[in-house]
Amino acid sequence: MAKSNHKAITEALLFTAGDAGLSNEQIAKALDISAQDVEELMANMKQTYQNDSSRGIEVAVFAEKYQFVTKKALSDYIKLLADSPSPSTLTQAGLETLAIIAYKQPVTRVQMEEVRGVKTDGPVHTLLARGLIKEVGRNEGAGRAILYGTTEEFLDYLGLKDLSELPPLPEDIEEDEKEDSDLFFESLKNGLSGNE
Amino acid sequence: MEYTVKLDAFEGPLDLLLHLIQGLEIDIYDIPMAEISEQYTLYIKAMSVLELNTASEYLVMAATLMSIKSRMLLPKQEEHWEEDQDFEEDPREELVEKLIEYRKYKKAATDLKEKETERSMYFTKPPEDLTSYSQPVDSGEKTQIDLHDLIGAFNKLMRRKKIKQPMSTRITRQEISIEKRMSEILETIRSHRSPKPFSALFPVAEKPHMVVSFLAVLELVKRQEIHIKQDHNFSEIMVESIEGVSLVGQV
Repeated sequence: MAKSNHKAITEALLFTAGDAGLSNEQIAKALDISAQDVEELMANMKQTYQNDSSRGIEVAVFAEKYQFVTKKALSDYIKLLADSPSPSTLTQAGLETLAIIAYKQPVTRVQMEEVRGVKTDGPVHTLLARGLIKEVGRNEGAGRAILYGTTEEFLDYLGLKDLSELPPLPEDIEEDEKEDSDLFFESLKNGLSGNE
Repeated sequence: MEYTVKLDAFEGPLDLLLHLIQGLEIDIYDIPMAEISEQYTLYIKAMSVLELNTASEYLVMAATLMSIKSRMLLPKQEEHWEEDQDFEEDPREELVEKLIEYRKYKKAATDLKEKETERSMYFTKPPEDLTSYSQPVDSGEKTQIDLHDLIGAFNKLMRRKKIKQPMSTRITRQEISIEKRMSEILETIRSHRSPKPFSALFPVAEKPHMVVSFLAVLELVKRQEIHIKQDHNFSEIMVESIEGVSLVGQV
């Protein structure tokens, strides 16, 4: 089968699948090709749509699924169709709690509260209701506290292919600097005799 | 709900402390305890009305700051040479660690917010309804669907309906009872021999109606009047009635 045919079939499938998207396996099965071939084909398709400025649609990968999305640059035009131009976003409390869960999962409510220094019942409830987090198990030992983790919906919500696409956790650069300077002062102090 | 506007600006005592540290241009690793606890206390006092739940956390922190401050004033212990003792402990250490840990996730939250905003610029469409092409499924194998799957499906629907809404807004106030919706849904499903897609149970794109419909579906599942399953194909959740169950009585 010719490559162009593959592209046509995939295009039709992606259109049909809408925001349910298609996994690598689904495309592989439909075209009867290997996962590796799907990777190549899709990379090629992504390029085709992205580079063609006369198209308003491109291929995105959210939560390990390929789907057609409208191009980001055109969002203002689409919002003209909508009733309320801004979608309902998460609050600061919700975002902080979600960040803790995303980077520390699986994590208990107590652990979240330790980081934030405040109760997190509200945000956890909201995140559960929006399907962004779920219970992923129970802690061993006393209390058997519920452990939370993120969902596929979470990946889609942030437009991530998988968890590895999360932005790296901001590590404290200052901390390393601080340790270095500590050592420096330490040696300086030791060098100088006398008390404070 | 919070009563104070001022408190609302902060996510808790750690957030407030970070704000003060930044404002006073203090080195987080060398916090002048007297100054910071004074500032912090002033802030707490300035908040005229305190919402109790929140207040307790702020007050605990105030006490912690005082305790650290007083420990800093104690004369330092002589170091013993013979024992492999750790360094003299800085009473501020635990607080500093907490502040840095919180600051890390506060920054991460900002990163996630950027992602959220970016994602909201991409629009998609619902999948085509291919149910008329689907094979009748043998009832031998039942896929487990949990509440989480249903909530996910419901959220997707809510998102989709949003964009379908007309440009003008009508204000309607109509009480819809869950019982009534349950009967309607059962009727819809029973008149339809093959399984119906979950999304077909939400014909009215209005939030109250959708929420009631969702609760009705949950109630029907609980009463084992309907069965919910999911094919792999486009993973649309399908709903079918469980035969041999009497119609819902008006409770």
